[in-house]
Amino acid sequence: MRSDGAGSGGQGGSARETLAETDRARFADLLVLVATRQDRTAYAELFGYYAPRVKSYLMRLGADNAQAEEITQDVMVTVWRKAQLFDRAQASVSTWIFRIARNRRIDVFRRTKKPGLDPEEPMILPAAAEAPDARIEIMETETRIRAAMKDLPEEQLHLLRLAFYEGLSHREIADKLDLPLGTVKSRIRLAFGKMKARLEND
Amino acid sequence: MIKVVSAPHIDETTRAALASGRAEPSLGLFIDTLMTMRGIDEPEGEIIAGTILEAEIISELSPHALDMVWAAIERGASRPKSGLVYEDLNQTPAFLQDAILAAEEHRGWAYGGPGIKRLVLDMPGDRSPRTTVKGATKIEIIRIDAGTKVPWHTHKGQELSLCLAGEFSDHNAVYGPGDFSVYDGATRHQPVATPNAPAYALVVTDDGLRFEGLLGALQKLFNA
Repeated sequence: MRSDGAGSGGQGGSARETLAETDRARFADLLVLVATRQDRTAYAELFGYYAPRVKSYLMRLGADNAQAEEITQDVMVTVWRKAQLFDRAQASVSTWIFRIARNRRIDVFRRTKKPGLDPEEPMILPAAAEAPDARIEIMETETRIRAAMKDLPEEQLHLLRLAFYEGLSHREIADKLDLPLGTVKSRIRLAFGKMKARLEND
Repeated sequence: MIKVVSAPHIDETTRAALASGRAEPSLGLFIDTLMTMRGIDEPEGEIIAGTILEAEIISELSPHALDMVWAAIERGASRPKSGLVYEDLNQTPAFLQDAILAAEEHRGWAYGGPGIKRLVLDMPGDRSPRTTVKGATKIEIIRIDAGTKVPWHTHKGQELSLCLAGEFSDHNAVYGPGDFSVYDGATRHQPVATPNAPAYALVVTDDGLRFEGLLGALQKLFNA
């Protein structure tokens, strides 16, 4: 078993490195091996990469060390059990495992007392004119989003992290960063818009 | 009442709420299902989150973490995985089938009146007694036998209904797979399955307060 196939950053620090395309494809291979052959070596490698990160995610969202450890193990058991539901054409392993961790985390501790959306934040906006056939493949989307994220200034990436990963509302982000609400909204829209533009232009 | 015909465009705020798990879970499952059935796969929000997970710091695990996981896997290894009770639902998105399988295993389909069956789905958060919210949302699948009428009804709060398979109609419209409606608490309606096949709907109901923002936003779709 390899200790860390993805060559991520050092111990305990901020890893900052995302997976290279080749590692991303290889992790998908590994998860398919888990699904089709109950391959324990493949699973152990995925565990070595994802379990410490999932634990960090849980602690970032408020779990203490023991709780985060327990939920992480639970998430990783689910990864084994549901591996046959993984479709490499639909999601990367990271996205798939993130979803499992997120749902398990909601099971254990809800972040918000009021689970509804902030009424001042619209749920659904009118459709932009867009030809449905112009959609690109999901994995191509993934590749482009990753590339776009690499190009974002740290400040904008941080905003995306708070909104899409930690699940803070615009209001909570504004309070945390001591910025006006309107600034937060426009910067997130700008950062997300850059990625959308990357998807729409070849 | 609204029958939504055009593809909803999901803005970045909503995506962030759905991706991070801040959105109400039943509503999240409903919107994910709707988008997948309409071919609107827009997973950007979750791709962002998944990518950030890769760049996460490395936390130290207990030295026996992997062994404990192996032990847990061994304990649950013999659980048989069977197919869905109704093959009509085999065309629904995989994550929804997963939720259906879990619910069929936990509680099964219940009698919902003559010719009607209902399956309540488990949502993240449901099982934790600490987080039970009074009047929380409920998500379930309603199966209506071919030609059967659902009794006239109103709701305490709003009802979002998405046709999963088959076809049904009410006094307003005909709903095929991927069509959905929003009813407020005041409107009476009576869905009827078409005579040739059973119909299935994914239905979210709230306590009358929770979807205020959603309803307003959906309204915009039609005024646009």
